[in-house]
Formats: sequence, structure tokens, C-alpha cells
Amino acid sequence: MSNANNPPPLPRPPPVPGQNGPAYTGPGSPQDVPPLPGSFPIDPNTLPKPIRDELLAPDPLAIDTSATELKDGLNRCPKCGATDIRQKAGSDLLVCLYCRNEWHGARVEEEFGLGAGIDQLRGRVIASGARDIAADTASLMSFKCTGCGAEVTINTASQMTARCHWCRHVFGVNEQVPNGAVPDALLPFHIKKDDAVARIRQFVDKRRLFALKAFKEEFTPENVIGVYLPYMIVDGNVSADIAGHAEIETRSYTRGSGNNKTTYYDADVYQVARHVEFTVDDLPLESSTERGNLDTRANTNNIINTILPFDTKNAVKWNASYLAGFTSEKRNQDVVHLQPRLEDQLLSIARAQVQGSMQPYNRGVRWEQERLDVHGTRWVSMYLPVWLYSYQQPGGKGSLLHYIAVNGRTGETMGSVPVQQWKLILAALTVGTVIEGIALMIIGSTL
Amino acid sequence: MSDDGGGVLFLLLAGPAAATGLYWGLYRHYRNTDKSHAFERETTVEAKPITGSDQKIDEIKGTKASRIAGDNVREYRKRVQRIQGDSG
Repeated sequence: MSNANNPPPLPRPPPVPGQNGPAYTGPGSPQDVPPLPGSFPIDPNTLPKPIRDELLAPDPLAIDTSATELKDGLNRCPKCGATDIRQKAGSDLLVCLYCRNEWHGARVEEEFGLGAGIDQLRGRVIASGARDIAADTASLMSFKCTGCGAEVTINTASQMTARCHWCRHVFGVNEQVPNGAVPDALLPFHIKKDDAVARIRQFVDKRRLFALKAFKEEFTPENVIGVYLPYMIVDGNVSADIAGHAEIETRSYTRGSGNNKTTYYDADVYQVARHVEFTVDDLPLESSTERGNLDTRANTNNIINTILPFDTKNAVKWNASYLAGFTSEKRNQDVVHLQPRLEDQLLSIARAQVQGSMQPYNRGVRWEQERLDVHGTRWVSMYLPVWLYSYQQPGGKGSLLHYIAVNGRTGETMGSVPVQQWKLILAALTVGTVIEGIALMIIGSTL
Repeated sequence: MSDDGGGVLFLLLAGPAAATGLYWGLYRHYRNTDKSHAFERETTVEAKPITGSDQKIDEIKGTKASRIAGDNVREYRKRVQRIQGDSG
């Protein structure tokens, strides 16, 4: 996909209930802009020491993806882990200078020309994620887990059985389902298992006081599993128009005296419109229906969503040998299914972009209409590496699968730790009672 | 708080408010239900200069509200009426 020839426009997606709309707009899906890292609604210094210590403990450090160590684009040798890797002269092969291992490691960024010409994009360019299966991927097969029905891809060259990372069921080759999606590219794991275990431990240590007792007792971060999850990486060339009303305060004054003071405001009302043209580079979207469902009442997939983004610029062309020792999930969503979600995110980006130009309106802005024109998009399917620790919280209706996820490239860690409700309520009531007691003392002394 | 009664009520509410705030704060600290990919600030976006129009249409005198009704300038992800455009 190195050129930008316009393919014939694809038909509008048919409305598929539960797959197309509600999954990303439904209640509970993270429609709220996430808070800045480290923000907490109450000043931790006002809280009792054990709680304060937990809140102020350091978070696992995430590597800045702009770090030079990742910028070089050289991935570790899958055989020995060394980074002393050179291109083998006259071929597309990479050779490890330490163990002489040779393999295909072409960066898709240059291979497909993905970094350039986003502002020239027209129409919809789709990389051939389903290209002819090359010899080195023939050993790759998808299996349907008999335990939970999930689909897990394994490299049969190195293993004939696999463990499902959803339900930990072990299953064999005879339960094969036809293989569908082989991605265009993947990002090899950069964070090692020991590192991931340490980060998960650090993350949970910051959340022990009110954690579910059973969770703490069964906590074994060594059971973390490396998973390649399917994503669509999208470049876009779009423009957006937003219109609404905004107000500027011209005067504020107080009327009344004593305890009957009321503040009044005068304001100028403006009709405002904004137009912004922009390109986005490498926006990741979950291309599996289950992972794309971010309903926080029913699952904890928002945890895996939070550890985005990845340094997708360093992705290498698909090669099954990278999957040795790891499991993966299969893509089951096509471009047409993901288009509404992309447009939703592009509109959000447009709204964020124009916010800076609304500074003079100190009484706020009420946006009422928005319009998006997508001039061109480019879609590449990619496997991205995630270390996943899971804990199934028991209990009929309250049963929930909690994830702690570590970004396999940057080490960004996020997780959901089940809460011991009675402990948390007791602590809240205790603090509330103490504060109420102080309040009553103040009231008593003034009467 | 227009009178002493209001002030007392405010103080009486301090306990329940602190309890609720602490509960939700800690719950989110553990469960992280409010977190998601902050794509607005974590994606590489190259925007051309923003254009637009600002037209004064009215004046308000003596309102008690300190902000415009329905302020959504920071709620990027809450969709408003969509005017149909081109989809690439």
C-alpha cells in the first residue's frame, strides 16, 4: 500500500445491532475525557496516613515512546534478545550479529510508506491485511477454545497446545477453526516478563488496603500472559466544522447586604463557528468486537484501552516467528464496522483542537452542531503486544473479569483491582463521621 | 448561603460529602473505571490554523448563572447534533 490510489468507495455499513453503534456510545462506555494522570478528587494530605501512603506511592514508570531507544526502530532478536542487529546486505532479511539468526524485520512504516503523505490522503486506502499467506505464516492457526469460545491464534511450529488467556483452558490442535485475519504488521514485545511482573506488583501494592481479600490471597503476577491484540491503525485527513453559542462576561455586581447578597452577571452572547483541517497519524482502534466494547459495568476492557498508544512507527512486517511463546487474538471487525468509532474519535479530536481558540469566552461555550468531512483514511491492521494479568471476581451477578495490563512496548500499566466493599464503605463512613463531628463542634461553639 | 441556616446546613453536609467523595475517589483509584485512552492528547495531530466566525447576537443583563447553560467546551466526547458530512 505504498501508493494512494483511490479504491472504489465501500458501501455504507449495514446497521448491525450490538456491533455498530451501542458498543462505543452506550452508557458506561468512557465518553468522559479521562482525568490527567495522578489526579485525585480529594487532597491526599487531608486523608489518614495509610490511605495517603497508598495514594502517593509511585506509579510504574512508562517509557516515553519518543525515547531514542525506541526511535531507532531496531527490535530485539527474537532468538537471543540481543539488539545488535543489521540489515543483511542485498536482502530484506535482518541478521542478529550475536547469534547469526536471520529473519524478516522490515519496518512497515517505510515498506508501506505509512508515515508520509497523510495530508494528501483521498478516499479509503486499506492495507492488505488478508494478503496471501506466506510460507512462514502457514503454521499459524486459529483455535476455538472449548472452555469459553474465545479464538486464540497459535504458532503450531513451536507449540501444539495453547492456554486460553481468557479462561486458562488448555486445548489442542484438533479443535481448529478456519483462520481469518493475518495482520499487516506487528510490534514485537519490548518489555520482558520479569519487568511486566514487577510493574503489576508495583501497581497492586499501591492498591492493597481496600482490595478484595481473595484477590490479595490469590495474587500471582507470575501468571501474566503475553498477548498480541488486534488493532486497526488509522491515518486520517479530515476537516471539521463546529458551531454553537458562547458568552463573555461584561460585568458582575452584587446586590443586597449582609447575608442576602446575590451576585449578578451581564454578558455578551456570540454565535460562534470554527473550522479546522487536520491530519491524525496512527490512531489505534480495537478491531475485535469484545475488546472494543468498553462498557465499564460489564467488563474491564477500558483498562486495555488506557495503555494505548504504542510506538506503532516501529512496527515490523508480519512474521509468525514473533508470536512464539505468546498468544494472540483474532481480528473480527472490518473497516466498515470501525468507521463510526473513528468518526466519533475524530470529532472529539476536532473539539479538543478548537478549544484553544475559545479562551476569550470566559463564561463558556455551548457547542450545538458539528460536522465531519473525512477526505481520506489509511487503515493498517496490526498486532500490538500486551501483558495481561486477569482475575475473575467470584459471585453470581457481581462476577467480573478484572484485568491488569502492561503495554508491551512502553511499560504503561493500568489495572482494575476488585474492591472489598464493606471495608471501603467503613473507611468512608469513619472519615465522614470524624468530619461531621468537627462540623458539629463548630456549630455548637457558634450557637 | 443566604442566612445562618444555610451556613449550618452547609456544615452539616460536610460529613456526608466527605464520605461520598472519599468512597468514589478510592473506588476509582482501585477500579479505574474512569480511565481510557486519551487519544485527544496522545495522538499525533497536525492541524492547519483554525478559522471561524464570531458574531455578537445578544446581550444578557442581570443573570444569576455564572456560566453559559450547557457549557460543553471541555466535554470533547459528548456528541452534539451531527450535520452530515463526507465519509472517506
